[in-house]
Amino acid sequence: MKLYEFPAYKLSEMLRNKEISSRELTEAVFVRADEVDQKVEAYLSRDREAALKMADAADGMIAAGKNTSRLCGIPVGIKDNISTTGIATTCASKMLENYVPVFNATVADKLEAAGCVFSGKLNMDEFAMGSSTENSYFKTTKNPFNLGCVPGGSSGGSAAAVSSCEAVVALGSDTGGSIRQPSSLCGVVGLKPTYGSVSRYGLVAFASSLDQIGPIGRCVEDVALLQDEIQGHDPMDATSADRSYASLFDGLNDSVAGLKIGIPSEYFGSGVKHEVAEAVMTAVRELEKRGAKAVPISLPSTGYALSAYYIIACAEASSNLARFDGVKYGYRAKDCDGLIDMYEKTRSEGFGREVKRRIMLGTFVLSSGYYDAYYKKAKLLQKRIQQEFSDAFSSVDVIVTPTSPFEAFGIGEKTGDPLSMYAADICTVTVNIAGLPAVSVPCGYSAKGLPYGMQIIGRKFDEQTVLNTALAHQRAFGEFRRPEL
Amino acid sequence: MEIDIRHIAKLSRLRIDDSELSGYEKEMADIIAMVEAMPDISDELTVDPDNAMTLRSDEIEGKRIPRDEMLKNAPKTVAGCVVVPKTVE
Amino acid sequence: MLINGYEVVVGLEVHAELNTKTKIYCSCRNSFGLEVNTQVCPICLGMPGTLPTLNEKVVEYAIKMGHALNCSINRICKQDRKNYFYPDLPKSYQISQADIPLCHDGYLDVIMDNGDVKRIGVERIHIEEDAGKLLHSDKFEGSLVDFNRCGVPLIEIVSRPDLRSAEEAKAYLETIRSILKYIDISDCKMQEGSIRCDVNVSVHKPGEPFGTRCEMKNVNSFSTVVKGIEFEARRQISELEAGRTIVQETRRWDDQLGESVAMRSKEDAQDYRYFPEPDLLTIVVPEEKVAELKATLPELPNAKIMRYVNDYGIGRYDASMIVDVIEKSEFFEKCIAAGCKSPKILSNWVLGEISKFMNEGTAIEDTKLTPEKMSELVGLIADGKISTAAGKTVFDIIIKEDRDILSIVEEKGLAQVSDESALEAIADEVLAANEKSVADYLGGKTNALGYLVGQCMKLSKGKANPGAMKEIILKKISG
Repeated sequence: MKLYEFPAYKLSEMLRNKEISSRELTEAVFVRADEVDQKVEAYLSRDREAALKMADAADGMIAAGKNTSRLCGIPVGIKDNISTTGIATTCASKMLENYVPVFNATVADKLEAAGCVFSGKLNMDEFAMGSSTENSYFKTTKNPFNLGCVPGGSSGGSAAAVSSCEAVVALGSDTGGSIRQPSSLCGVVGLKPTYGSVSRYGLVAFASSLDQIGPIGRCVEDVALLQDEIQGHDPMDATSADRSYASLFDGLNDSVAGLKIGIPSEYFGSGVKHEVAEAVMTAVRELEKRGAKAVPISLPSTGYALSAYYIIACAEASSNLARFDGVKYGYRAKDCDGLIDMYEKTRSEGFGREVKRRIMLGTFVLSSGYYDAYYKKAKLLQKRIQQEFSDAFSSVDVIVTPTSPFEAFGIGEKTGDPLSMYAADICTVTVNIAGLPAVSVPCGYSAKGLPYGMQIIGRKFDEQTVLNTALAHQRAFGEFRRPEL
Repeated sequence: MEIDIRHIAKLSRLRIDDSELSGYEKEMADIIAMVEAMPDISDELTVDPDNAMTLRSDEIEGKRIPRDEMLKNAPKTVAGCVVVPKTVE
Repeated sequence: MLINGYEVVVGLEVHAELNTKTKIYCSCRNSFGLEVNTQVCPICLGMPGTLPTLNEKVVEYAIKMGHALNCSINRICKQDRKNYFYPDLPKSYQISQADIPLCHDGYLDVIMDNGDVKRIGVERIHIEEDAGKLLHSDKFEGSLVDFNRCGVPLIEIVSRPDLRSAEEAKAYLETIRSILKYIDISDCKMQEGSIRCDVNVSVHKPGEPFGTRCEMKNVNSFSTVVKGIEFEARRQISELEAGRTIVQETRRWDDQLGESVAMRSKEDAQDYRYFPEPDLLTIVVPEEKVAELKATLPELPNAKIMRYVNDYGIGRYDASMIVDVIEKSEFFEKCIAAGCKSPKILSNWVLGEISKFMNEGTAIEDTKLTPEKMSELVGLIADGKISTAAGKTVFDIIIKEDRDILSIVEEKGLAQVSDESALEAIADEVLAANEKSVADYLGGKTNALGYLVGQCMKLSKGKANPGAMKEIILKKISG
């Protein structure tokens, strides 16, 4: 087994036992990316010198016994919508091609303080809008399991880099499934934490009330480890929850005896591929063998969740992305005839088509005369969906569904039809609407070897039960299956 | 549902070329058709007192980023200011 | 007030910058006049990924103003985004409050120049952030943006359309300014733009429904408010008289032209697409906090003026002049507390000699004058022990030196003569020398009396008690 293939929690022990150095590990990860990233195209930028400097600092801390973080010395890939001081943060948009933040996102600060090494900034759909990473202005990331297929999105670069072992672990962001869906398509583990448990400060906003940063790894343990490092209250983020957070890694336990698993019929019906539903139900039966009990439940408003999601997300996005106007930072169009012309040219040239469509949709649903019919209705529906989940959790401990209704699809296959692309999120958006934690874990493979993913949803701030269930599944299903590259 | 794409684009400070117009119209109409299937809920949006935030205390942050650093991403600056095309009321 | 049979209807939206230490959503210094773009951080510059955190003092200050204007307080409320593009607005939206303002449905009693009290309804007070500033120069092709003011906290106070003239609007504004100063939440410097005003004007014939209103922006001084309303009312009346209708529109006051200019019509009205600010959660102010802010409110200027008038017998105009400057009213009240015998005489001194010092920029605390000394001096004058003119001589000394007043009076020989026999001797001498004036007085020329008293004062070298002197003269010539 190559060094870059080890899971983070094992590397952590090896670093502490001085079996390896962080420099050695960082070098190995960079060499691996040198080898395969021409094929996968997961990274937007990598800085070997800077990374080695961080690695040396981590080695120094470990040698001095100064740093107690388990992630000290571990290379972490970062989605390119998370601000990093002095490192371009482009959101995969022409608009921010040359934008270099003067401040760190809170999560970047936390990782730096923990002694993590930044292995690079990862590709994504422009401004996190998309489900295939095809909306990146710079490049299309490929699925490591099949280079002709998409890795999912929007955190496609993060999931693909972890899957191809170009990163040990990575940060993604999830607004409607953007961590879980690409994790599912790339055969890795991705956690969308409870809204408010990870600071959003420095995450370039898509939809403020739904966005959440979260970890992606090749195993449940690594996801727990990275989540431990980034969770916690942040006074810089008013929506961050002021509570105490226990270590998820320390709390990991693969026993599911007595666990009640809700199976919502709405997530297994039409629109979800039969093989995917089968793989999920097979995994559930394995959990039952280990002492869990599956209970049929109903979440009746699920069918409307996608609509509510697009209205709320696009409304917020239309406002969040208004700041990209060519004035203070980012792209400004050439040869402008006055202020309005500068605004319109800059924004029309700087944003891609999907971003423009969502900005216009958001502008429309908030515009005079339409607010009640769309935005208000969507918010009321959100309340109803939240209530339905809350009712369900009075009788079950976790809810299990497919993550994506289908496995990875071909590059270019869905780009012409927004609605078929949006359908990729039907199982995941409800979780963001309800603000709940959910993990995606691999649970099967198609005939062509493409991974299927299972989504485990938990109560607010009950990441522990979610990850314990995922760990029990991982024990039954098996460890990460590495794609051939 | 007819959507005046030109008006919406103007509000969004976007310019849609004639060649793109019909494409956007169709896509937007499809999406609107989907969202219009939402059920009517006869309720009002209320403020949730259980979702309260902690306010910030009124203390000055000592650590400052120098002006040159703050403006280094600006497309055009003069004399410590960002430059924009002339604004007329 | 009617103009050509039309009544003017005015409503005001007052924006006041709050004098908190930091900005509303970030910890940058909140101050005026510093070098361009030096009071900014990633948050108030709207950099990608930054988030607002609400300054607790902004909420408290706004609630204080709400109490001062007799408002109901929405102690559970939220903030909303107002979306529009402009280079001085870094996020391209302003965080404000839409349907649930922090304070609502209050009123303000305004004392008009003629002494009438008029109650003006206050629709709402909400909190929001200020925008930056655009700088223009002929030497330069474009416009420059200074973001220092971005995120300076504002309260917007919206009146009901209860004002009926430019004068009423001015009196309302002056009262608002005075309250802001008294509760110490704003510096109220018009020239620095810390109070700004949007004016809504319509005209109608009494008994008929309100006319179509026009909103006038960029009204940046109280005198402009008066000019602006007068101009706008006349413009609307002449439109109506010419058989045209008023178009609902936003106009801009042009100070140089001295007129309002159309900015945009209702059809072009901006669609601000308000929606709840998702980066902030609910504002919840505990009931005890709301009550505490009310309890700690100082006596407000109007109440003070009425108290000075009713308790101290001071004229309403003089009372309002004292109350207008907090330092004057504080000194005045300290003198009363020190046992000052005559608030009326004291008020003359506060508005006279003491104001002179203050207007030159000297604080009374920085002089040797204490409230005790001032009370003693006023007491001597009130008791007729020294004359007002002698009082001025004493005042000029005790403001500079810590000296005993009685010893000054003695040293300078300032004691006033009130002894009746001494005064009678003076009167006899003057009456004997001015027979013609006596005859004039008896012939009906009453101002001859003043001349006679003046002659007595002159003879006494100013030491005679003028009141007593006058009575003796009257007694002698009428007698």
